[in-house]
Amino acid sequence: MTLVKEAPARPAKKRSAAPAAGRRGRRRENLAGYLFMSPWIAGFLLLTAGPMIASLYYAFTSYNLFTPPRWVGLDNFTTMFQDPRWQKSVEVTLKYVVVATPLKLLLALGVALLLAQKRRGQALYRAAFYMPSLIGASVSVGFVWRALFSDDAVVDRTQKIFGLDVGGWIGNPDYVLYSLVALSIWQFGAPMVIFLAGLKQVPQELYEAAEMDGAGPLRRFWNITLPMISPVLFFNVLLESIHAFQVFGSAYVVSDTRCGPADATLVYTCYLYQKGFKEAQMGFASAMAWTLVVAVALVTAVLFWSQKKWVHYEEAAK
Amino acid sequence: MGTSRNVERRTILKAAGATAATLGLAATTGCGGGDGTSADGTVTIRYAWWGGEPRTIAIKKTIALFEKKYPKIKIKPEFTDYEAFWEKFQTQASGGNPPDVFQNAVGFLRKYDKRGVLMDLKTQADAGNLSLENFRNGVLANGQVDGKQIGIPVGANTMSLVIDLKAFEKAGVEAKFGWTWDEYFDALQTIQDKLKIAGDTGYFSIMYLYDLYLRQNGKAFFTDSDLGFTEDDVTQWWADGYKRVKSGLVADPKKIEQVKPKSGLSAGLAASEFTWDNFSIRYQGEGESDYGLAPIPTTDGKDTGQYLGSLMLSAFSGTKHPKEAAQFIDFMVHDPEVGKIMGYDRGILATTEQYDAFKPTDPNNKGVSAYEDEVAKAGVLGKITPHPSGADVIEAAFLRIGGEVAQGKTKPADAAKALFSEAKAAFAG
Repeated sequence: MTLVKEAPARPAKKRSAAPAAGRRGRRRENLAGYLFMSPWIAGFLLLTAGPMIASLYYAFTSYNLFTPPRWVGLDNFTTMFQDPRWQKSVEVTLKYVVVATPLKLLLALGVALLLAQKRRGQALYRAAFYMPSLIGASVSVGFVWRALFSDDAVVDRTQKIFGLDVGGWIGNPDYVLYSLVALSIWQFGAPMVIFLAGLKQVPQELYEAAEMDGAGPLRRFWNITLPMISPVLFFNVLLESIHAFQVFGSAYVVSDTRCGPADATLVYTCYLYQKGFKEAQMGFASAMAWTLVVAVALVTAVLFWSQKKWVHYEEAAK
Repeated sequence: MGTSRNVERRTILKAAGATAATLGLAATTGCGGGDGTSADGTVTIRYAWWGGEPRTIAIKKTIALFEKKYPKIKIKPEFTDYEAFWEKFQTQASGGNPPDVFQNAVGFLRKYDKRGVLMDLKTQADAGNLSLENFRNGVLANGQVDGKQIGIPVGANTMSLVIDLKAFEKAGVEAKFGWTWDEYFDALQTIQDKLKIAGDTGYFSIMYLYDLYLRQNGKAFFTDSDLGFTEDDVTQWWADGYKRVKSGLVADPKKIEQVKPKSGLSAGLAASEFTWDNFSIRYQGEGESDYGLAPIPTTDGKDTGQYLGSLMLSAFSGTKHPKEAAQFIDFMVHDPEVGKIMGYDRGILATTEQYDAFKPTDPNNKGVSAYEDEVAKAGVLGKITPHPSGADVIEAAFLRIGGEVAQGKTKPADAAKALFSEAKAAFAG
């Protein structure tokens, strides 16, 4: 607060007058910037950084919320790696990431390619396809999904027409995860919009030139579109994989808060939630959280490393 | 340049002001909790419970009644469903801010007593703010742990078997007092043969039923601090259960899972279901058939292992208004009007004042009352078994692991191992 009082007291000098005055002016601007940012900075320190540091500490303690945390070193991590339910949650999450992410991106790219063409009612189509992403995170959609994929509901009846009688997916441990995958794919709007933006950036001359050289649509897509939008593709792969690792809401709601049946939808965050908030093992839950952070960081690092092999940037082309 | 600087300065000041205002606001909301006493001496206490809509409507009526009688005490209600209630409660309690008065159950008593959250209401009874008299059938003991009275029962209930009356009649089988497990499963077989539906919705995942079975065999689910049975015991229990799922005697767990929150019984997937007797009121509303309460099968033709469980009211040990909290509990468990409003929603009313005041007229409440009378008359009621700290976590694990066995995803022996290892962690937590 003293700094604010000081600022108006100083005489306004022209920036060019002296280097010192220029520095002061900059400092003043910086100060204003920091002041404007201060609510965010305070929020970040109090609500994000603080809890993160606390949770890092808790990861090495046994903490039931009521008695003070007791330092246990790496115990939480060793227990975690040996815990069959934790292993199950890793398995379920990886399965979800590996199946849901590529399918969602494929659909997003496919629809973006269709919508990139000029046709009547284009805006309407775009809005319609984007809509599910807007409501996607809501709990109500989870309930709708539960209703759709239950025994003798729409999906069950439809598959019976095709002679597939597996019953509803929700109660079946072998299928229920795929109902979550379907939910994720259905919300392909966000990556689709990003793909669309990327497709718009591809210079038309390239296509014209390729066409003159006799390249068919498939070849044009493979040799022009894909390399040209590869930075966007990379961005989407990165973002969607990270999202997929953190899936929670849909699993929690579709499985009636139990992440089942038979732990079939026990995604990582669901188990973390159960450990922390149902069983009050905050130390264990914190250890899980930090393990996830490290795992996602590793996956991100691998993706960044791999981009050298397949992502095509303009500068590199020159 | 000068003007723009001025603008900048003003903006800075405004921004600073806004920040200060935000912080100030945060400070006021921070104080918002307060001690619940307003300027005119009116005290506000928070009252939390779990349950469905009918319970909430009834409880709100009783609150209004209380506030009329005690104009200086205001009640702030908080309610959710069962699962959400305990998650929220745990967080509130760990932050030192649980409700002043709240609904409680036997599975949570030791857990929160160990953590120092529950008030010993004996002190308030000694001070004359709460009466511990006139409780029926010794249920007051349900709220006692290590000589402390940390819960006051509002109702008493017992495990029961709810049956689809029409299905039982059509199949020509009768549920009778003193029948054995073999007779029960024979009855299910007849139902399956004649009506082509399963007999039971999945008895083997219900911890409280397994407790009865163990009690019939001289054991119990819990001792003071541990499990009261062996891995072999529960392996056998689950192996039999799985066998009966396979043979269709017990309903397909895949189908049961999908009719939730409806029960498998009211959805017509099976002809009987074990549950607490006061829950039976839900079936009539949910299902198409007629439902009735039937006796628990036995091992020896006599002992059902049953006891009277309770929902209770507890108070927070750190409440700023212990006297008012006690007065409120006293009113809720003793006032005849409250008994009339609540009926048997939380079990048969626990005090004689309320029990005498409420005369059930509808078939559901009548059924529950008749059932408990019959059980009491049969002289089978035993004492409640202990529920160590961690019982709630173990109940959830028992339900989940039993479900895995039913789905064929875990072998009974592995399931038993998993249960024991999770129980160990739960007791330690």
